[in-house]
Amino acid sequence: MTDILTFDALSKSWFSVPAVEGLTLSVREGSVLGLIGQNGAGKSTLMNMIGGVVAPTSGQMLWRGSPYAPRGAADATRAGVAFIHQELNLFTNLTVAENLYIDGFPRRFGLIDHKAITARAQGILKRLDLDVSPGTIVGQLSPGERQLVEVAKALHNDASLIILDEPTTSLTPRETARLFEVMGKLRAEGRTLIYISHILGDVARLCDYIAVLRDGRLVDTGPVADFAVPRMIRSMIGRDLAGMYPPRSGKPSDAALLQVSRVSQPGVLEDVSLTVNRGEILGLFGLMGSGRSELARILFGLDPCASGSLQLDAATLRGGPRDRIAAGMAFVTENRREEGLMMDATIEANLSLVGIRSFGRGPLALVDSASLARRSEVSRHDLGIKAGNIAMQPVKALSGGNQQKVVIGKWLLKDPKLFILDEPTRGVDIGAKYEIYSLADQIAAAGNGILFISSELDELMGMADRIVVMSRGEVMGDIARPDFDSERILRMAFREVAA
Amino acid sequence: MTETETSPRRGLGARAADLFLSDYFVLYMSLAYVAVLAPFLPVLLTPGNVVNVMSNMWPLLIVAIGQTFVLAIGGIDLSQGSTIALTSVVGAMLIAVSANPANLDLAPIWGTILTENGGPLAGVPGNVAMGIAAMLVVAVLVGLINGAAIAIFQMPPFMVTLVTLITISAFTIWMTQSENVANLPEGFIALGKGDIVSVYFGAKDESKIARKVIYSAITYPMVIAVSVAIIAHVLLSRTVFGRYVMAIGINRKAAEISGVPVRRVIILVFVISAVCAALASILYSARLEAGRPSLGEGNFLLDVIGAAVIGGTSLFGGKAKIIWTFFGVLFFVLLSNTLNLMNLSSFQVDMVKGGVILAAALMDVLRTRLMRERTR
Amino acid sequence: MTPQTAIDFAVRNATYVIFACVLLYFGLQAPAFLGPESLGNIIKQSSFVGIAAVGMTFVLLTGGIDLSVGSAMYLGPLLAGMAMQAFGLGVAEGLAIAVLAGVAMGVFNAVFIVWLRVIPFIVTLATLFLFRGMGVWLTSSQQFDFNEDMRSFGLGHSFGIPTPILFFAATALIGYVLMARTTFGRQVYALGNDREAAHKAGVNTPWVEARVYILCSACAALSGFVLIAQIGRLDTGFGEGREFDVIAAAVLGGASLFGGVGTAMGAVVGATLIQTVKLGLVFTGVNLYLQPMMQGLIIFIAVLMDGAREHRLQLDRKRTIRPN
Repeated sequence: MTDILTFDALSKSWFSVPAVEGLTLSVREGSVLGLIGQNGAGKSTLMNMIGGVVAPTSGQMLWRGSPYAPRGAADATRAGVAFIHQELNLFTNLTVAENLYIDGFPRRFGLIDHKAITARAQGILKRLDLDVSPGTIVGQLSPGERQLVEVAKALHNDASLIILDEPTTSLTPRETARLFEVMGKLRAEGRTLIYISHILGDVARLCDYIAVLRDGRLVDTGPVADFAVPRMIRSMIGRDLAGMYPPRSGKPSDAALLQVSRVSQPGVLEDVSLTVNRGEILGLFGLMGSGRSELARILFGLDPCASGSLQLDAATLRGGPRDRIAAGMAFVTENRREEGLMMDATIEANLSLVGIRSFGRGPLALVDSASLARRSEVSRHDLGIKAGNIAMQPVKALSGGNQQKVVIGKWLLKDPKLFILDEPTRGVDIGAKYEIYSLADQIAAAGNGILFISSELDELMGMADRIVVMSRGEVMGDIARPDFDSERILRMAFREVAA
Repeated sequence: MTETETSPRRGLGARAADLFLSDYFVLYMSLAYVAVLAPFLPVLLTPGNVVNVMSNMWPLLIVAIGQTFVLAIGGIDLSQGSTIALTSVVGAMLIAVSANPANLDLAPIWGTILTENGGPLAGVPGNVAMGIAAMLVVAVLVGLINGAAIAIFQMPPFMVTLVTLITISAFTIWMTQSENVANLPEGFIALGKGDIVSVYFGAKDESKIARKVIYSAITYPMVIAVSVAIIAHVLLSRTVFGRYVMAIGINRKAAEISGVPVRRVIILVFVISAVCAALASILYSARLEAGRPSLGEGNFLLDVIGAAVIGGTSLFGGKAKIIWTFFGVLFFVLLSNTLNLMNLSSFQVDMVKGGVILAAALMDVLRTRLMRERTR
Repeated sequence: MTPQTAIDFAVRNATYVIFACVLLYFGLQAPAFLGPESLGNIIKQSSFVGIAAVGMTFVLLTGGIDLSVGSAMYLGPLLAGMAMQAFGLGVAEGLAIAVLAGVAMGVFNAVFIVWLRVIPFIVTLATLFLFRGMGVWLTSSQQFDFNEDMRSFGLGHSFGIPTPILFFAATALIGYVLMARTTFGRQVYALGNDREAAHKAGVNTPWVEARVYILCSACAALSGFVLIAQIGRLDTGFGEGREFDVIAAAVLGGASLFGGVGTAMGAVVGATLIQTVKLGLVFTGVNLYLQPMMQGLIIFIAVLMDGAREHRLQLDRKRTIRPN
């Protein structure tokens, strides 16, 4: 068997922080490679290099033995690479057939030859057993059908290497089974597949051999026969946790602060119950699409919930974000750029946004800028935000870690009782991570509660007093610190075992 | 992390960039423009012309200030011009002291509100104040309708205010059947023309001074416009409300999650915009001594937006200052004035205006790029 | 049909539902309104805004806007008229020159929007002033008179069809073919749906976007020429403020200001609906001054429906986690 794609000492650094380091690996033609690793292990950077979105800092890629350096998505497509992401690249206002041909239609008398594209699309859809007319508008298809249209696009472009990145997260089990069937067919046609997934059982079932990435390096690889799920998990984690996390300085009390009972929302959450006590950091672990962020949005009043009750300090929570803030909640969202910060505004403006009302004086609510500046300066000092003039410098000029400190800082001005931290260390370097963990510890030690949501199990095991595991919108289990066991937690998240 | 330390040996380029990025850039540009043109256009700096420039500037400034608030949240208000016309007619028909049946007897307001003896408030003590109050109330209603449709039903501001523009102007024209409502009380007219301080540049021993050599230095429109500007400046840059406005303009989602009362602020912003239009309407109606259904028609609103954009306000929201708008309006009015003095037609003036708006937009692209480099 | 699907249907086809109601209402009020002469009149009078609305739909499809159409309606025919006068050209050549002038104006807009990356709203606001100013400069603010051929062309018939209707139909047909049947048209839809994805899929987005503005200005110039051919003279204020009528017609026809949605037929229907309401109100003797209010009301309903449609789409797009 020949190698279709070879990585040769491939490296990529972002501002001298390595994302992929010295990766050497061959993808064999006509086989299925399972690529696994935790979040931040370097999978997406690797994919972006194959897709021509980013260029490697050093090393090279070989396509069928000759150097391959795509300079854009079009180059990759031309070479014969197709991507199928969880976020689809389809035009929902066009038909299935048009989506296949958007970069160039066959013409007859100068007009699109609808007959030809319909016939050709029909043929491809038939090979995929997708019972959809080529004239259907993509917006009317289910997520599973759309996923298969992406596959159809790959076939249309006659891709010889198809990369599937978490393709099943928004699919029903039936649709997933259908996709797997199609993958089998593609392999039988001699196409090469790279399958990236957090669902390790699927990886074991579908792939011929496995490669495990951790911290940008290839740490383990081999044929699937030697790779049971436990070995995958061990290779993915395998890190010394000591020294990464600050010691916890307080002890959680037994007094309940946030009580979530039997919350359900059709299509999103099913019968979710959990409790955060005073002084406690409750870790909430789940994979992508487990409903962890959706739960956070419901808790903060951004999304509706059909049934169940939410109580903070025994008072029922009602209304939208403003009422939740008044009740003493704070929410650091997973999407810092779009929901957390005003990127173009100054650090001070961001820090003061939540608490600005208390700086209003007189009937016009004139901002007391002197005391605001003093208070912001105190925040900057307490949080250790590394910046120049906080009244002048826009927050977008800060590093990710310092930006996140600003987000946390803006809530601290309100002295909230309960913090919801959704992926607070995403895109943050190791040093700043430690500082954010310390902040979380201080908040909890002061008697407040934290719901710490993360897809990085390590940090939850390092910081949380308890971990609740979610999957597919349900709570799979609730584990106390003495019983922390990464393998068990991951299995719960992967639905390998019940709690 | 960058700190732009002012080192003593900064190059000329850096200093030019400072000037370019300064809040006062458009003011400097206006001054330079005047300095260049003055030798060729001696009439430019004569007291009469200066008075003329200023009297054109004040009402436009008030409207542009209202628009600045709307632009600051990333919206647009096309209905300001029609609000000016509506409030002008409403005010006039209430306070007119008499009316002529020859041109108004077909209007629906004839006989019901307006008669030969004027409007219902004719001769009533405090009629001017009551008329103005009525104009403001109408404006608040318009703003509430715009704001509610935009904030609550999430309709695009462009379409909503386009609809109110069409509907309000139709309603105004229908009410009056396109006729002006004249014969306004003296007390009202004074608001448009009245001088508070006048200047006389002639010889002191002249026994009779002709009216035309007395120049108004401080007028009611000036006082009103400058007060509005100061209040607006304080509101936008110094109050909690102003912070909320900017927050919504920069990132509405983040503002919502941070507890900013987004809907309330949006509605209020459109009310401010309409009220500013009503205030300008007072000045226009008083100056023209009539309620005019044709006020604010045609390209008026594009003038307003053009002036704001030249000042540096961004149509994407989150970037707006009253002082920018002030200078933008100044430059725009100066431009019209000088082109008129050069005996160009109003349409040629439009052409230059277009070029200037384009240039301003290009400069803004450049300025954003420069800023980005500085903060990197 | 359950009530739910009925509402869904009404939201999706709001314009047609409104159109049917309007026709029914005026038909009941004055049966002569539905006569062939009256209907023909409606279409003839819709042609002006309608032709420009087809062009505007292209721009709206990409999520852009063109405020300069009112001025293009003026400058296009003016340049054509001047050329006709100077070189003694016929109406057909004049028509070609008007359209070419429109193309040139579109290129000007496109240079700033596509190449210099200034937002469309500002560019076309500026060119709104520029194009009109240039025209008035050329005429020294005078009204411009066309020779008699022009009117006999504009008021004439070919194949028994009035000229304006013929041009309206031709523009609509070409617009339809371009949008629905050509690579360019489908790429316009793709661009409006997801610009980033279109770029990734290998669509030459700058070139597609540029052509959209060129088409829009060309249509505007053509619409101006066709109307002027009926009047025979061109005032300096011709077309002023028409940009809003044109945008309103396109939006009424189902085009979304957010891009990606709209059809040529929709623009035709939108323009015709506005004209139907206008003439219907005349027919039923409603005060002339009140007509724009009805127009405003109808646009308001259409935009409200558009918002509702968008809201539904967004709900659909929300990820569902749990198997249903």
